[in-house]
Amino acid sequence: MSLLRLEIKPIEETILGENGFLYEEIPFYILDLPSNALPSLANLEEVFGDPVLNDVYIDDYDHFWDKKKPKWVIEVSFKPGVTDNRGLCAKEALNLSSLSCSFAKSGTLYFFFEDHKELKEYANPLIQKAELFSYEDFKKRSRFQHIEKIDEVNFEDLNSEVEVISLDRPLEELVKLSEERCLALNVNEMSFLKDYFNKKDVFEERKAQGLPKNPTDVELEILAQSWSEHCKHKIFKATIKYKEDLSSYEDSNSEHPFKKLGNQKIEGVYQSFIQKSTKDIIEERGITWAKSVFKDNAGIVSFENKVDLCFKVETHNSPSALDPYGGALTGILGVNRDILGAGLGSRPIGNTNVFCLGLPHSLSSSEKKKAPKGLLHPRSILKGVHKGVMDGGNKSGIPTVNGAIHFDRDYAGKPLVFCGTVGVLPKVLADGRDTSLKETQVGDRIFMVGGAIGKDGLHGATFSSLELNESSPTSAVQIGDPLTQKRVTDFLLKARDLGLYSSLTDNGAGGLSSSVGEMAEFTGGATLDLSKCPVKYEGLKAWELMISESQERMTFAVPPSKSLAFKDLGKKYGVSVTDIGYFHDKGALEVFHLKERVAFLDLRLIHDLLPPMKLEALWKGPRKRNEWWKDPNEASQKQFFEEEKVEDILLKLLSSPNIVSKEKWVRQYDHEVLGASHIKPFVGKKGDGPSDSSSLWLYPHGGEESSVIQIGCGLAPKLSLWDPYVMAQYAVDEAVRNVVAHGGNIDQCALLDNFCWPDPVVSEKNQEGLFRCGDLVRASHGLYDITVTYGTPLVSGKDSMKNDFRGLNASGEPLKISVLPTLLVTAFSKSTLEHTVTSDFKNQGDLIYLLGDHGQGLAGSEVSDFFIFEDQEAQKKMEKLPSINLIKNKVLYRAIYKALGRGLIESCHDISEGGLAVALVESAIGGRLGFTLDEVEWLGLSNLIGKLFGEGPGRFVVSIAKENEKEFLSVFKELPHSKLGTVSSLPQVIFKNGHKVVLNQHLDKMIEAYKKGV
Amino acid sequence: MNPLINYKKKPHFLVLAGDGINCEQETKLGFEKAKAKTTIIHINELLDRPKLLRDYQGLAFPGGFSFGDDLGSGQVLALKCKRGLKDELNLFVEKESPIIGICNGFQTLLKLGLLPFPGEKREVGLAPNREGTFQNYWVKLKAPPSKSVCHWTEGIFEGGESCEFELPLRNREGRITLKKGSEDKIYNKLLKNGQIPLQYSDQLRPLAKFQHESIAGLCDPKGLIFGLMPHPEASLFEATHRIHYKNRCKDPDQKAWGQKIFDNIVGHLKRS
Repeated sequence: MSLLRLEIKPIEETILGENGFLYEEIPFYILDLPSNALPSLANLEEVFGDPVLNDVYIDDYDHFWDKKKPKWVIEVSFKPGVTDNRGLCAKEALNLSSLSCSFAKSGTLYFFFEDHKELKEYANPLIQKAELFSYEDFKKRSRFQHIEKIDEVNFEDLNSEVEVISLDRPLEELVKLSEERCLALNVNEMSFLKDYFNKKDVFEERKAQGLPKNPTDVELEILAQSWSEHCKHKIFKATIKYKEDLSSYEDSNSEHPFKKLGNQKIEGVYQSFIQKSTKDIIEERGITWAKSVFKDNAGIVSFENKVDLCFKVETHNSPSALDPYGGALTGILGVNRDILGAGLGSRPIGNTNVFCLGLPHSLSSSEKKKAPKGLLHPRSILKGVHKGVMDGGNKSGIPTVNGAIHFDRDYAGKPLVFCGTVGVLPKVLADGRDTSLKETQVGDRIFMVGGAIGKDGLHGATFSSLELNESSPTSAVQIGDPLTQKRVTDFLLKARDLGLYSSLTDNGAGGLSSSVGEMAEFTGGATLDLSKCPVKYEGLKAWELMISESQERMTFAVPPSKSLAFKDLGKKYGVSVTDIGYFHDKGALEVFHLKERVAFLDLRLIHDLLPPMKLEALWKGPRKRNEWWKDPNEASQKQFFEEEKVEDILLKLLSSPNIVSKEKWVRQYDHEVLGASHIKPFVGKKGDGPSDSSSLWLYPHGGEESSVIQIGCGLAPKLSLWDPYVMAQYAVDEAVRNVVAHGGNIDQCALLDNFCWPDPVVSEKNQEGLFRCGDLVRASHGLYDITVTYGTPLVSGKDSMKNDFRGLNASGEPLKISVLPTLLVTAFSKSTLEHTVTSDFKNQGDLIYLLGDHGQGLAGSEVSDFFIFEDQEAQKKMEKLPSINLIKNKVLYRAIYKALGRGLIESCHDISEGGLAVALVESAIGGRLGFTLDEVEWLGLSNLIGKLFGEGPGRFVVSIAKENEKEFLSVFKELPHSKLGTVSSLPQVIFKNGHKVVLNQHLDKMIEAYKKGV
Repeated sequence: MNPLINYKKKPHFLVLAGDGINCEQETKLGFEKAKAKTTIIHINELLDRPKLLRDYQGLAFPGGFSFGDDLGSGQVLALKCKRGLKDELNLFVEKESPIIGICNGFQTLLKLGLLPFPGEKREVGLAPNREGTFQNYWVKLKAPPSKSVCHWTEGIFEGGESCEFELPLRNREGRITLKKGSEDKIYNKLLKNGQIPLQYSDQLRPLAKFQHESIAGLCDPKGLIFGLMPHPEASLFEATHRIHYKNRCKDPDQKAWGQKIFDNIVGHLKRS
């Protein structure tokens, strides 16, 4: 074999980058080809080139630069074993064109004409190799003649034997073992295992199977994955002793605003609040549409007569912290697989994503000293995760329809990356099977479908169950392959329609160990042979094959009578399909490797025997932030509120990171593929007015003619400092409000909960765990109360419990950054084409109304991050949270749906960050129409500021046609509403207080501020 | 072909799928709404039995990310078709059967050499957008300065001023580029032959440097092979239009502008 290097140079000059750092980007490939059949340049041009666009070089093209020589070159390529999609595609293309290529690797060259930036701007050292050369040195390498050998995957340990791991050692040794192997099992769990394997009957059973008394490494790893926080949700199901201490508030005369829960013992927040909420709602309301909840890969609902829907939201926080692009890409592809595996297989029809990141601005010199060492800047994370979500959705042909980017300093240690997918599935298959039921049969074959197994993603499940620190394993970082997954998708949906399998699930965290382990529960056992699994390269150990999280894989249960047809279909669709074992009812998970039995574990041990965790929790009222970024000597930089400053405040808010338009980022997502996007993320005349929620029309997906689903999300992490009980309710209300604003029906609305918490397990190292566990109880309780009142069941959810960074800051001082306790709520609700409405003002002369009350208080609002009252009494008065009236809100939301159905509303926009003033301006931007706000009276500065910028929940800005006012008022007469003003013909924004004008500015100025971007 | 079926009455379209093609479902819907019979066929199935193509009166290369666009958009799909389908494709073209390529499909048709001058040396390509990234936004379209021979777009600009000719654009490599040095010659030839059925009309492409960068679609000299960057299949109904207003979509079957392209070609087949 011999190596060939080729570089693809665009014919058109394409200089990228900013002044001072101009560069040209040139892809290169290194191919391993048979020496006796080297392709001609013409052959290679056919595969890699385009005669109009680029030239293919297999020799130096120094002459090309005769006008302007580059000064520097950076060469970037993937490290061995990392998924290299361009390399894989090159190999496939060469083989298509009958040029046999055994291996192809891709890379990128950056030719700099002026200066170059740091290497880390171009490559992530965890997965990529990057080298910098001066152009002269680069030329001297004669890179086309002296081609470096293509690196093989490097194994530190070539011994592929299965190891027996003795648990007969002292407790501290067991803990050490858990740490060394990244098992993430605590001392109780390790000693539980020790006792288990010392039981006589267990020993006898194992002896009969030819297995040693102590577990093999395969068995120990299976248990660690299955028992990981990530897979088992031990904290969510733990027994918690909750205590409340509000004594410091009870002394004061006035009634304190905190909901008293009382000291109590909770048998799992999951069972007691989340599952229970859904159960209670279904019972109380007699809902029949919540078809499958909490048991499958995703919740399944039945909103209409032709198709069903499923929805799932996952987090991919730890991988995204290390490699934002790969982390988000595998996050989105991973949650797509959840949908593919929901019911008897569903088609993904929309992606959602929410990023919680540290503040995006460049750091000041004092901030630099306090910044976490060794972590990426939030901007770099944003760029990476955005690209990951973009490639994941665009390349898979799934529209990215809804999302949010939320900035807060406390996400600088660990970013939160939520990826969601909604899918559609037929109600029954051609053979009459109900698609929401999975029924693995004894004797069904186990098929692994999709990618091959490598060392990638080892210990993903256990790693994400630990805090992030400097020794976090980098093997958990992976790149996804959207093409392979798309092929799997095409195959899967065809196989489903042909009725070729009885059950399926995705290979996510824990790999085969989790997927087969979970499916085996249905029949009561499974046997598989790891040596049959296709591998990316030789030398993998049995335990690695078992738990690797190599991407793009699904596991199927296929009746033996259909396995031939299943295999043939795989071949036809270009998808790897491998029979690796069968399901049975022996009560055990049995694993072979190279003809040797390497695991035989009682399913009860894997799934049921682990005793629940016991936790302590305390809540003592609101807490102050740990301002880790701040020099304690620094004075507050907040400005004072003034009536004359209303315009400044408004412009400041419009361009603040949490409000400013994210359109630039969102337009890079394909949000219209599949041709069913009804309300798009940005709407209005110029397509730049923000939507509260997006909608997908179900008719093109086989649904009823007028069926629409409305998708929205809500979160209020800052309020968890105030009271997590309220935080959860604000998050739910925002999500529900967002769908209601554009036509969602609250009576047909399902929710998803995603908890991302700092470690809530108290220990010597983590004293704060006690309080974070208290936060968890309060948030879950708040969630229960609001969902039950709204009647909106939780149909799916996920929790991630170790979102802390522990390390050093740039000055070398110890630093711990925990995320704000964050609950993301995703809402999806039924609507119809007759009900939907967008946020932009439509016609001049329309009347503007506020639906809901003027809230009281500014706690946790965006405006309070930048401004305070000079008058301390006013400041104190406004440091409270607008209350939330659940019953009133529900009645209001129903009335909006009714009014929309009657065609009484022209535009509807929910009030969230930035309050009433920002909501009005956003509607104006969308419609390119000004407005006059002249029907509200303000008494004093704090009243003015509170009404304009307060963020109380349950509120909307609507515009209506004058002729509809009477009928509109008849619908809302019993509900809080007030007239605000009129949509005007001039693009001017005017706020009046009686006769006094407090703001009069051209809309363009607002647009400019709003579109500054991040 | 079954001699008992009257294909003129109900022409049969083949919509290609697989290997990263994404828009086959909505493309199929466009033909179906135009009352054509439509079948989605996996590329591997067609390559296994290339003669299958003879059973169809029309062919569509839908949008998507075939082969992940990893070696360039449409690059590998074109290579695959060249290797396994060339003769049958040529036969199909000779029979004057219509072909459409949308977005990634347009890129594929160019790389296959079927557009704009079948059988001639490649002179037209689709380069990366000047924004440098994937972009999804709607564009206004207008008729080119010379009348087009394209059968897919016949008469679509005859609806008067009030018609909204807007379609969504969703791509990273959608900028028409002509062979360096011969730009004017090629552009004028395309114009003279009536091979430019669609142009971008407004300033939505602020970065455009050349007049040919306003080309949104091209057809062959006979007007049967049509490639375009905007997505008509994503605008079959008023309900998916970017501008939403009350009552716009009361009748979900009300046709949007994108549908006309499918209606046109089915009408053409029925007439010819």
